[in-house]
Amino acid sequence: MTTEELEQLLAQQPIALLHRLARGRVQRHFRTGKRRLIELLLRHSAENRAGFESDLLALIGERTARPAAPPPRPAVQPARHSAEARRAASAHQEQEPHEPAVTLQAWLEGIGVPPPQPFVPDPWQEDALAKLQTGDVIVSVPTGSGKTYVAVEAARRAMEENRTVIYASPLKALSNTKFTEFSRIFGADRVGILTGDRRDNGQAPLLIMTTEILRNLLYDAAGGEIDVRLDTLGLVIMDESQYLADPERGVVWEETIIFCPSQARLLLLSASIGNPHDIADWLTSIRSTPCHLIKHSKRTVPLRAGYLHPDGKLTPLFRTLGIPHGHPGQWHPEAKRLFARYEDETMPSGRRR
Amino acid sequence: MPPSIHPVDLITALRQRHLTPAIVFLTSRRACDEAMESFDHTNSVLPPARQEAIAKVLEQVIAQYPSIAEHPLIPTVQRIGVAAHHAGHLPSWKIAVEELMRHGCLDAVFATTTLAAGVDFPARTVIITQSSIRKARDFTDLTIGEVQQIAGRAGRRGKDLVGFAIVTPSPYIDLGVLTKGFTGHPEAINSQFVISYPMVLNLLKAHPLDQMQPILAKSFAQFQLNQRAEILERKLDDLHQQMEPYGPRVCTDWITQWHLYDQVRRQRSHRGPVRRHEPPDVSARFHFLTPGRIAGLAKSRGVVLRQYRSKGQKSPMVTLLRQGGAITECPAAIVTEVFDRVLDCTEAPVYPWCTTESLESLLRELEELPARLPVLPILVSKEHEPIPDAIVQTLGDFSCPTCPSRSACQKDHAHASKLRQEQQRNVKAIQALRTSLWHRFQDKIDALQHFGYLSPGARLTEAGEWARLIRIDHSLLITELIRAEAFTGAAPALLAAVMSSIAHDDDRPGAFPRISPGLGSLLGQVRKLAESLSPYEDPPLLRADIAAVTEQWIADPTLTWIGLCKKTTMAEGDIYRLLARTLEFLSQLHTLKDTHPALADCASQAIASLRRGVLEELP
Ligand SMILES: Nc1ncnc2c1ncn2[C@@H]1O[C@H](COP(=O)(O)OP(=O)(O)OP(=O)(O)O)[C@@H](O)[C@H]1O
Ligand SMILES: [Mg+2]
Repeated sequence: MTTEELEQLLAQQPIALLHRLARGRVQRHFRTGKRRLIELLLRHSAENRAGFESDLLALIGERTARPAAPPPRPAVQPARHSAEARRAASAHQEQEPHEPAVTLQAWLEGIGVPPPQPFVPDPWQEDALAKLQTGDVIVSVPTGSGKTYVAVEAARRAMEENRTVIYASPLKALSNTKFTEFSRIFGADRVGILTGDRRDNGQAPLLIMTTEILRNLLYDAAGGEIDVRLDTLGLVIMDESQYLADPERGVVWEETIIFCPSQARLLLLSASIGNPHDIADWLTSIRSTPCHLIKHSKRTVPLRAGYLHPDGKLTPLFRTLGIPHGHPGQWHPEAKRLFARYEDETMPSGRRR
Repeated sequence: MPPSIHPVDLITALRQRHLTPAIVFLTSRRACDEAMESFDHTNSVLPPARQEAIAKVLEQVIAQYPSIAEHPLIPTVQRIGVAAHHAGHLPSWKIAVEELMRHGCLDAVFATTTLAAGVDFPARTVIITQSSIRKARDFTDLTIGEVQQIAGRAGRRGKDLVGFAIVTPSPYIDLGVLTKGFTGHPEAINSQFVISYPMVLNLLKAHPLDQMQPILAKSFAQFQLNQRAEILERKLDDLHQQMEPYGPRVCTDWITQWHLYDQVRRQRSHRGPVRRHEPPDVSARFHFLTPGRIAGLAKSRGVVLRQYRSKGQKSPMVTLLRQGGAITECPAAIVTEVFDRVLDCTEAPVYPWCTTESLESLLRELEELPARLPVLPILVSKEHEPIPDAIVQTLGDFSCPTCPSRSACQKDHAHASKLRQEQQRNVKAIQALRTSLWHRFQDKIDALQHFGYLSPGARLTEAGEWARLIRIDHSLLITELIRAEAFTGAAPALLAAVMSSIAHDDDRPGAFPRISPGLGSLLGQVRKLAESLSPYEDPPLLRADIAAVTEQWIADPTLTWIGLCKKTTMAEGDIYRLLARTLEFLSQLHTLKDTHPALADCASQAIASLRRGVLEELP
C-alpha cells in the first residue's frame, strides 16, 4: 500500500474506526477532527507501517464481518418482513442452485446400524483433554457428541495425580445416573455422592453432587469450615453448563464458578449455545489460568427432518436431505402443501398465514 | 381428518419404516398417559422373545427399586413395547424406562419436553408435536436451543447411521418456529444473576465489605454489563467527536449561557413564554424519544427514528418505524410507554432518518424483542417552572446581545445542546451499568441490617452467623420464623409440613387430605409473617393442602406409599418431588445444630421418618 492509498483508505473509514485505530497510538485523539486524526495516524504509522496496516485491515474486516455473521438469529423469516427484507431474501434464494427436492425414498435410505468399531476418541475430545493441562476448558458441542468421555478421562487423569474431582450436575436424576456409570468405570469405592442430607462414600476421590450442594461447600470453605478435602481439589466438572441461563438456578452456576478454588481446573460441558466465546472470555478474565474453548456444531450422527401428516403420510420437511442450516424457508413442497391443508382444516378462523 | 395422528397409527407407521426406537414428545403428561391407554385394545403385540427380554430387564430394575413392581403401566410396556416417561412418574420408574431404552427393548417412549437434558436417552427417531411449551403458566415458543436439544436426541452414536426428527402437527403448532429451530444458530445465553440474602451473608462472612465490589465484578452478569457499557463508551467517543466544533467560545460554557439567556429573553418578551399546549407527561416523555428508543403504542411497538416539533403548532412529533416495517409520522402523544431499551441506530439527515443498514437491523431487532420489556420510569414535573424573577431582571447582565459569537451561538445552540444532553445521558447509563450490581447488593445489606443479621458496619451479627447456613428460597422467612420461635415445641411432622408448604411453588389444583388444627394455626402464623416480609421477599404459596400431605406421611409411619397416593389426586412424581424438596429444606435446618439444637434435632427426626419406602431408594 502506498502512502496515498493508505491515506485514501483511512479517509473512507468512519471516524469511530479511526478512533479505535488511534487508541494507544495518538494521544488525546478524541480532541482531533477527522482530517487531523488521519494526519496524526499517518505520521505515527511510519514507526511500524506493516503493523499499522494489518491493524487497520483487521478493523475494517471486523466491521464488514459483523453484519454478515449471524449472531443470535441468522436468517429473516421472509413471510412477515418488509418488502426490502423480502427482496433480499428472494435474491438470496435465487443464488442457490434450484435442485429438485429430495424424494421420500432417498430420504429414508441409509437407516441402519453401523458396524462395530474400536473406540477412537474424536479429535475434539483429545483436544479438550490436552487443553485441560494448561487451563480451564469449556466444551460446547451438540447433544449426544460424547462429552461424558471427556469428563471420564479428565477425572481419571486427575485422580491418577491423587487429586479430588467433583462432578456437578443440574439434576438429581442425572447425578444418580452418573453415580452408577462412574462407579462401574472407576469402582464403587472410588466414587461418592452427596445430597442435602446424605453422603454415600463422602471421602472418595470422585464426588458427584448437584451444583447447589457444590456452591454450599464452597461457601462453607470460604467461611472457614472446611468440609470436603477442597485443598486437594484438582478438577471441577460442570455438566450441562447451559443452565447458566436458567432464570431461577443460573445464579448458582455463576457463584460456583466465581468461588471455585484457583488451584482446581474447571471443565464446563455444555450443549450448543450461541455465545460460548463470551463464557470463555469471562472465565479467562476472572481465573488464574486461561480458558480454552472447544466448540463445534457438527452432529456425529447426521440428522434428517421429516413431516408426518395426521393421515399417516410421511414426507421430508426440507428440500434437502440434511438440515439446511441458515435457510429455514427451504421447505419441501410436499410438506408445505400438506401443512397448508392441515392449517386450513384445523384452523378455519384463518389464524395465520 | 383428525387433528393429530392416533398413537397406535403413529407407532405402526414408524415400525413399518424402521424408524423405531422413537421418543414421542407430547404436550402434556395427560397426553402421554392417554397415548398409553390407547394401546389397551390393540392386538399388535410383541413376539414372545421380545416380551421376555423386557420382563428380564424390568426384573433387574425392580430388584433394586421394589416400589415399581406393581406399576400399572407394566403390562402395556411388556405387551406392546411402548412406555411413558414424564414428571408425574417416580424417579425409579423413569430409571426403569431409561434402562429398557438402553437395552433396545422399546419401540417408543411417550415423554414431555421436561425429559431433562443430559439424561442418556437417545433414540433413532424423535417425534415433535408442539412448537411451544408451558413456562410459568404461559405458553412460550420453543427457543432454537430447545428445539435442537429435543431434535438432538435423534440418532444414537454407534447404533444409528442417521437420526430422524419428524414433526407431526397438533392444533396450535407453528411449523415456522420448528424450522427456524432446526436450521438456526442457538441463542446467546444471558446471565441470570440475582443477589440473595444468603449470598450477601456468606460473602460478608468470608470477606470484608470493601472487597465486595471486586467480587461482584467477577460475575458473568458484570461481564455482560461491561460489554454493554463498552458499546455506549464507543458511542460516547463518537459524541465527543461530534461536539468538536462546539468547544469553548467567548464564554467557556456558552451552551448553558445561551440557553439561560434565551429563556430569560423569551420570558421578558411581550409574547410571554412559549406556551405549549401539551400535557406535562407528553413533554416529559418526549425528552426520551430519541433515535433508537423503543416506544410502546396502544397495540404495537415502534422504534423512534427522529423527534421534532411540527412547524405550525410546535407540537411534539416523532417518526416511528413500526412492526412490519411501516414508517410513520405521529404526534408524540400516541406513545403510551417508553421502554428502557435503545437500539443502535445510525442517524441520517434525510428520510428515513437513518442508514438503510441501520433500518434493516432495527426492524429485525424490533421483531425479535421479548414480549415484556422494562418500562422507563419517567418523572413528570408538575408544571413548566418559570425562571425566577430575580434572574429575569438580570437580563442586562448577559453579554450575549453584543457578543461577537452571538450569531454562531444562536445557530448552533439547538444541535449542540442536544448532543450534550445525549452525552450526559450516555455517561449516566454507563455509570448505571457499572454500578447496578453493587447497588442491588447494598439494598440487600440494608434489609439485612434492618432485620439485625448485619451490624451497622456490615459484619455478621450473632443471628447472621447462623442465618447464613440457610441457603434456600425464602431464606428470610425461614430465619425469621426461627427467630420468632414459631417451631418451638412443634412435632417433627408439623415442622416438615410447614417446610413443604414453603418449598412448594406449584399452584396446580387437586384434592388433598384434611388439615390438622395444629397445622392450620401454625400456617396462619407463617402466612402473617410472610405477608409482613413481602416488601423484602416474595411470599411463598403456603398451601395448607400440600402441607397436609407431608404431615400425614411423617406423622403416620404405617402409611404406605400407595396409601399416601390414594389420599390425594397429586401425581406420584409430584408427591415424590414435594417430599424430596422438603428433605432438602429440613437438612438445611439440621445444619443449625450448634445454635439451635432442639430445632436441628426435630428436623433430623423428621428426616428419618420421611426417608422410608420409595424415598429411601435413591440417594
Ligand atoms: N469417540 C467416540 N466414538 C464413538 N462413540 C462415542 C465417542 N465418544 C462418545 N461416544 C458415544 O456417544 C454417546 C453419547 O455420548 P454422551 O452421553 O457423552 O453425549 P453428551 O455429549 O454428554 O450428550 P448430552 O448433551 O445428551 O449430555 C455415548 O453412547 C458414547 O459412548
Ligand atoms: Mg452429557
